[in-house]
Amino acid sequence: MRKALGGFTALVLVTLYAPIVVMVVFSFNESEYSVKWTGFTLDWYRKLAANEKLHEELWNTVKLALSSTVMSTVLGTMAALAARSSFRGKSLYTTLVALPVMVPDIVLAIALLALFDAVALPLSLGTAVLAHTTFNLSYVAIVVSARLQGMDRSIELAAQDLGATPFEAFRKVTLPAILPGVLAGAVLAFTLSFDDFVITFFTKGSGPGTLPTRIYSLARFKVTPEINAISTVVLAASLGLIVTSLKISRVPVTGGGR
Amino acid sequence: MKKALPLLLPPTLWLTVFLVLPTAALAVSAFSKEGLAALLEPVTWFLFWKSFRIAVVSTAFCLAVSYPVAYFIAGCSPRWRNLLLFLVVLPFWTNLLVRTYALKVCMEPLGWLNTESAVVFALVQNFLPFMILPLYASIEKLPKRLLEASQDLGASPAVTFWKVTVPLTMPGIAAGCILVFIPVLGIFALPEFIHERTHLIGSQINLYFMKNRNAGAGSALTLVLMLFTIVLTWTYSRFRKSEGLV
Repeated sequence: MRKALGGFTALVLVTLYAPIVVMVVFSFNESEYSVKWTGFTLDWYRKLAANEKLHEELWNTVKLALSSTVMSTVLGTMAALAARSSFRGKSLYTTLVALPVMVPDIVLAIALLALFDAVALPLSLGTAVLAHTTFNLSYVAIVVSARLQGMDRSIELAAQDLGATPFEAFRKVTLPAILPGVLAGAVLAFTLSFDDFVITFFTKGSGPGTLPTRIYSLARFKVTPEINAISTVVLAASLGLIVTSLKISRVPVTGGGR
Repeated sequence: MKKALPLLLPPTLWLTVFLVLPTAALAVSAFSKEGLAALLEPVTWFLFWKSFRIAVVSTAFCLAVSYPVAYFIAGCSPRWRNLLLFLVVLPFWTNLLVRTYALKVCMEPLGWLNTESAVVFALVQNFLPFMILPLYASIEKLPKRLLEASQDLGASPAVTFWKVTVPLTMPGIAAGCILVFIPVLGIFALPEFIHERTHLIGSQINLYFMKNRNAGAGSALTLVLMLFTIVLTWTYSRFRKSEGLV
């Protein structure tokens, strides 16, 4: 029985990873028609490196991810810290914070589009930053909250009893203790923003796009080694981010807390 | 309350401006002549039904595939557990369109593209981590002595599974199903990659906004989708609370 379950699990993992491996392998294939292997080449990557429009889109993706990460990390951490106190309307508050994660992407995207439309704000990368900050705020709040749950509050209170102002207690005790959680939240936010397609697609307007919107318009109707190559680059970037986040989450907790 | 206020204010303000107000704007746009007309169109309800049907089928397959996997992982040694869970979650960190495109690369030579079964396969494959993780969490917590007691009292492994294991892991099953069902219901882009002519509610909303320039109709469909999500989440959270009291 255990053997059968193990075999099944292995099969599931193969179906998860095999397509990605095939795609990466065929990004190095000489032939345009990716069904048959004809020989190794780096031509498709050379083509990408020469494509200036793609550089602009990569830069847009990074700008969008960076700015929404900074804003959502600050706001999301505040949201998580505030949720520790009890106050009137707290259940409404927690629902509000969790909502962007719960509703399908397209719902959030269209609602924001309706707002931008109602106040006649022209769509651009800037409006996309506002949209990305909104969904990332929730993810950061959830990650930081999880970290806070393992924290001993008495140390913070002790710091305040011993004469530290709430701000000092926060800076010297709370922040160092939750920093790995905050950083993990920030990396998650960056990754989600870097990979996002649906929210960007609806809120960026008709101007220049990001790598995911490029992949959408290229890859919807065809399969070519060049698209394999772009996809491989995006995949490698995501994997680099995961390695970073794993390194961060192993950072030992210093200065109070657990 | 006083201490929490400086922390509470900025995120609440942000969510009010970029979540509550947008919802209000969405409702205003939906309650227009075009919006109400779209809700009276039979094609709207056909598409909601089709999206619902595909979401139910995908969630069911996801559950059927994930349960044995989660069960196996929960029985492994801690080292293997961590490795397997990592392998299950890893794809979630990469781009959805890239993964879907990779599937497309493999499906094309097989002649599987442009079928509904291929769309369901892609959906199941994509949402597996969302199902496996909550299932794993609840299977791992399963008290071993209850399973042993059931077998000692003469139940066959199958009876033990259906009468003890499944009921006790219901919270994980419910959490996994809701985490898969809701995003699949409003899915956009993934189905179009696999099946050019797949038309679900997400693609219809896109069509109204990007091609037909009919914001009222698009908003009306989005609002219905949103209300459906909220009702479902709310029902689920009530169900979970009653679980906690038992």
